[in-house]
Amino acid sequence: MTPSLIERLREIVGSDFVLTVPEDTVVYEQDAFLVARAHPDAVVLPGSAGEVTAAVRATHEVGVPLIVRGAGTGLNGGSIPVRGGVMLVLTRLDRILEIDPRGRTATVEPGVINADVTVRTLGDGLFYAPDPGSQGVSTIGGNIGNNAGGPHCLAYGVTGNHVLEMDVVTSSGEIVTVGSRSLDPPGYDLAGLIVGSEGTLGIVTRITVRLLRRPEAVQTLLAVFETIDDASQTVSEIIAAGIIPTAMEMIDGVVMRAVEAAIHAGYPADAGAVLLIEVEAHADALTRIGARIEEIARRHHPRQLRAAASARERELLWKGRKEGAGALGRLAPSYYLHDGVVPRTKLPGVMRRVAEIARAHDLVIGNLFHAGDGNLHPTILFDPRVPGMLDRVVAAGEEILKACVDAGGSITGEHGVGIEKRDYMKWLFTEADLEAMRRVKRAFDPDGRLNPGKLLPDGQPPAYALQTGARAWS
Amino acid sequence: MELMDRDRGPGTGERKAAWPVLTSLVIELRRIAGGAHVLVAPEDVIVYEQDGSILQAMPEIVVLPGSIDEVRAIVRAARAAGVPIVPRGSGTGLAGGAVPAGGGVVISLARLNRVGEVDLRGRTAIVEPGVINLDVTKGIAPQGYFYAPDPSSQAACSVGGNLANNSGGPHTLAYGVTTNHTLGVEVVLHDGNPLWLGGHVPDGPGYDLCGVFVGSEGTLGIVVQGIVRLMRARESVRTLLAVFDRMDDATRVVVDITGAGIVPAALEMMDQTTIEAVERGAPAGFPRDAEAVLLVEVEGVREYTERALREIDAICRRGAVRDVRIAQTEAERQALWKGRKGAFGSLGTLAPNYYVMDGVVPRSRLPETMRRVAEIGRAFGVRIANVFHAGDGNLHPNILFDMRVPGALDRVIEAGAAILRACVDAGGSLTGEHGIGLEKREYMSWVFTEADLGAMARIRRAFDPTAGFNPGKVFPSPPACGEARRAPAKIPAGLWV
Repeated sequence: MTPSLIERLREIVGSDFVLTVPEDTVVYEQDAFLVARAHPDAVVLPGSAGEVTAAVRATHEVGVPLIVRGAGTGLNGGSIPVRGGVMLVLTRLDRILEIDPRGRTATVEPGVINADVTVRTLGDGLFYAPDPGSQGVSTIGGNIGNNAGGPHCLAYGVTGNHVLEMDVVTSSGEIVTVGSRSLDPPGYDLAGLIVGSEGTLGIVTRITVRLLRRPEAVQTLLAVFETIDDASQTVSEIIAAGIIPTAMEMIDGVVMRAVEAAIHAGYPADAGAVLLIEVEAHADALTRIGARIEEIARRHHPRQLRAAASARERELLWKGRKEGAGALGRLAPSYYLHDGVVPRTKLPGVMRRVAEIARAHDLVIGNLFHAGDGNLHPTILFDPRVPGMLDRVVAAGEEILKACVDAGGSITGEHGVGIEKRDYMKWLFTEADLEAMRRVKRAFDPDGRLNPGKLLPDGQPPAYALQTGARAWS
Repeated sequence: MELMDRDRGPGTGERKAAWPVLTSLVIELRRIAGGAHVLVAPEDVIVYEQDGSILQAMPEIVVLPGSIDEVRAIVRAARAAGVPIVPRGSGTGLAGGAVPAGGGVVISLARLNRVGEVDLRGRTAIVEPGVINLDVTKGIAPQGYFYAPDPSSQAACSVGGNLANNSGGPHTLAYGVTTNHTLGVEVVLHDGNPLWLGGHVPDGPGYDLCGVFVGSEGTLGIVVQGIVRLMRARESVRTLLAVFDRMDDATRVVVDITGAGIVPAALEMMDQTTIEAVERGAPAGFPRDAEAVLLVEVEGVREYTERALREIDAICRRGAVRDVRIAQTEAERQALWKGRKGAFGSLGTLAPNYYVMDGVVPRSRLPETMRRVAEIGRAFGVRIANVFHAGDGNLHPNILFDMRVPGALDRVIEAGAAILRACVDAGGSLTGEHGIGLEKREYMSWVFTEADLGAMARIRRAFDPTAGFNPGKVFPSPPACGEARRAPAKIPAGLWV
C-alpha cells in the first residue's frame, strides 16, 4: 500500500473516512463466516457514487486488490480481504433516492438496509420481497452480491428476480448501466450476471428494485411433527399437490429448544420438527387452501396443527424462525451455518443423511431452513476451544454439501460461495465451465483486482487465518 | 458447379470466403450431416433468406444437423473455413435475427426436435431447440401442466428461437418471459466444445451465464438443449372482453386495472384497424365501430378469479366502456381468444405487407404513447394497426403498406423509427420481446451508452473471440463518425427488401 494512494483516497473521501491503523481496520477483517479472517490494508468509506468511482480509479492506477463490503453479514467470507488491499465499505451510501408507487419501483443506494425499503414503502401498500434472515441489518448491495434469498423466496424468488437496473463501476472505473426499468431489455442480460457475482465483476452504486403489492390476506400455520421425516414428506407432498405457499420453513427439535429457551415463540420443545407454512391469497380462498394443506399434513402423523389466530401470534411464530440462528448461541459457543440445496423431492432422504453425518462425527446439528425451496441450513454447533473440533465441523460440513450435490442439488442456495466454497465449485462445474466464468470475469476485471480469491477456484491457497476463537453472533 | 450459380442470387453482397474454401466446406458438411441435410442450390437455400421480418439475404450453405455431435462438428468445420454461422429455428423471428446478412452457413436446428426427460414432480423438461413451443405444453397438458411462454407464433416457433430472443407472449404479464422459465442450457461454443450453463437447480452458484445466453440472439453460441420450467395449470381461468368507443378510455382502463393491484394473466388490446382486419379475416364478433377492445384474462383459485372479474368489470364501467362480455364457458373463452390469435394473420386482408414494431413503455405512459403513435401514422401517411400486450406496456404497432408502391417502405421504416423513439422518450425501450437482430441494431445507442455497449462487446468476445456467430446482429456497426451513429437505421448493405 503506497502512501501516495492513501493520500489520494483521503483527498477523495475525506481523511475521516480512510482507516489505516489496525485498531480501526480490525473490525473489517471478518464477516459472519465466523471461522476465518484476514486484514485489509486500508478501509475507505465513500459518501457518494462519485466518490466510489474516483476511489476505484485511484486504486486501478496503482493496481491493488479492491474488496467491497456492505453490512458484513455475509456467511461465506466473501468480504474477507484474503489478499489484503483496499476495502470499500458502502454503508454510507444509504439513501433511498426515489420511490415510484405507481411504477412500483424504488431506486436506492447500495448501503440501504434491506428492511428499510419495505418500511419506507409500506404506506403505499407495497413491499420489497427478498427477506434474508439478516434483513434488519444486511444491505441491498450485499444482497445483490450474494443473490440473497429468504423465507418468502418460495413464492417471490430471490434478489435477482427483483433487481431491474443498476449502475456498476468496473475495475477500471468505468460506469456501466445494466438492466432496465422496462420489460426484457435488449442486448445481453448483464444485470443477471452482476447479481450473485459477489463483488468480483464490479461495484454497484445505484439500484432500482421492483416493489410488490402487499397481499390481501395471510394465513400462518404451525404443523408439529414427531420426526423430521414426517415433516419432510409433508413438504414434498404439498408442493406436489400444486400448492405454492409463500413460505414453508422447517425448524427441527434442536433449534426449537434453543428458540423456546430464548424467546418463547410457542414451539413445542419436545417435538421432532415443526413446519411454519404461510399462505397468501384472496381472503375467501385462504380457508380452503389452508384446509388442503392441513389435509396433506394429517397424512403424516402430526402431533398438532395450528393456525395463528392473530397478527400477534403470527409475528411470534415468525420471530422464533427469524431469531432461530441467534438463539443457537445458547447451546454452544459457536456454530457453522451451512447452505445447500436439494430438489424438493429428495428432501426426506437428504435430511436422514444429515442426521447420519452428525452422528458419524459426534456433532450436534440444528436445522432451520427453507424447506419449500429444498434449501437446507444445517447448523453445526461447536466449541472452538475443544482441540480438533473445528476440523470435524469442517469435515462434516463438506460431507453434507457433498450429499446435496449427490442428490442433484447444489452447494449454496442463497449464501453464496465466497472463500468458503470456492474449492467445492469443482464438484458442480467442469474445468470448461469454470473457464467460461473466468473469461467473463476477465471481460469485466482483466487484472483480477476485484475481490480476488473469491467465488472461483484459482489454484492459490486460501490465505486466511482460521478463526479458532470465534463466538457466535447472537 | 452448383456453388457458382449461387452468386447470382439476390443480396449476396460481398463475400469473404473464396469458392474453393466453400466447396471443401460443403464436402465436409455433407460428410458430417449427410448429403440430404446440406443445401446449396439456390432453389433450396432461398427458403432461408428471410425470417418473419422484411429483411432478406441469401446464405451460401444451409445445414440441418440431426444431433448435438453434428452441431459440434459443423461449428468446427465452419470456423476452420472462416465462414460466419447463423443459427436458425423456425424462422418466425421479427427482427431479422436469422437473416444471414453477411452470407455464410445457416445452421437450422429444426431436426433437433425431441422432448427429453419430463419430470412432472420436479416440474422440469429437457427439450431440444427445434421443439415447437406449443408441443411442450401439448405433451403435459393432460397431466395438468403447461409451459408458460406463449408467443403468438407458438404453434410454429421453436423453443431455441424463443431462447435466442427471450420471447414473451400474452401471458408474460403474469408469468414473465422465456428467461424466467429457463433453468439451464447446453451450448456449443465457437471451438465446437459443448458447455452446460445453469442446471436443474435454480439460482446456482457462480455467474449466471445461462441468463446471458437467453436473449443473446445467436451471437454467443448455439443452444443445443435446454432445461425448462413447467407450471401447474391454474384452478380457474376467466376471460372478459371489454369494448370501448374511444382508444383513450381503453388505455386509461389498462392503467387503472394494474393500478388497482390486479395482475391479470393477460391484458391484450386491439384497435379499430385490427378489429376490421379480424372481422374480415377470422370473424370473432367484435364491433367494427369500436375504437378498441381489451381482452382480459385472470387465473388462479376460483374465489380470486370471480372477484377479480367483478373488479375489472367495475373499473371498465367507470372508464366509459360500451360493453363487457364475460366468457361463461370454455367455448366462449376460445371464441374471444380466436380474434386475438388470428389478428396478425388477418392484417393481410387490409394491405399486402405489414411491418410489426415492438416497443415498450411504462404502463402509466400508455395513453399518451398511443396518441403519439396515431400522430406518427398521420404524419407519415401510413395506416397503423395496433394489437398488443397492453398490460406489459408492450406495443405492437403494425404499419400496413404495399411494397410495390415506390417509397412506401422508406416511409414505413421512418415511421417505425419515430415510434420507437417515442417509446424510448417515454422512458421505455426498443423491444419488448422480438429482439434487436438486424432491424434495430443502429437504435441500440438510444438506450445504451458507449460504456454499456463496450461491456456487452467484452462479454461477446469472452464467448466468441472472432464474432463468427451471427455477425452483424444486435450491436451497432462501428461508428465511422459521430454523425453516422445518429443517422436513422439503414437496411444493411447486401440486403434487399
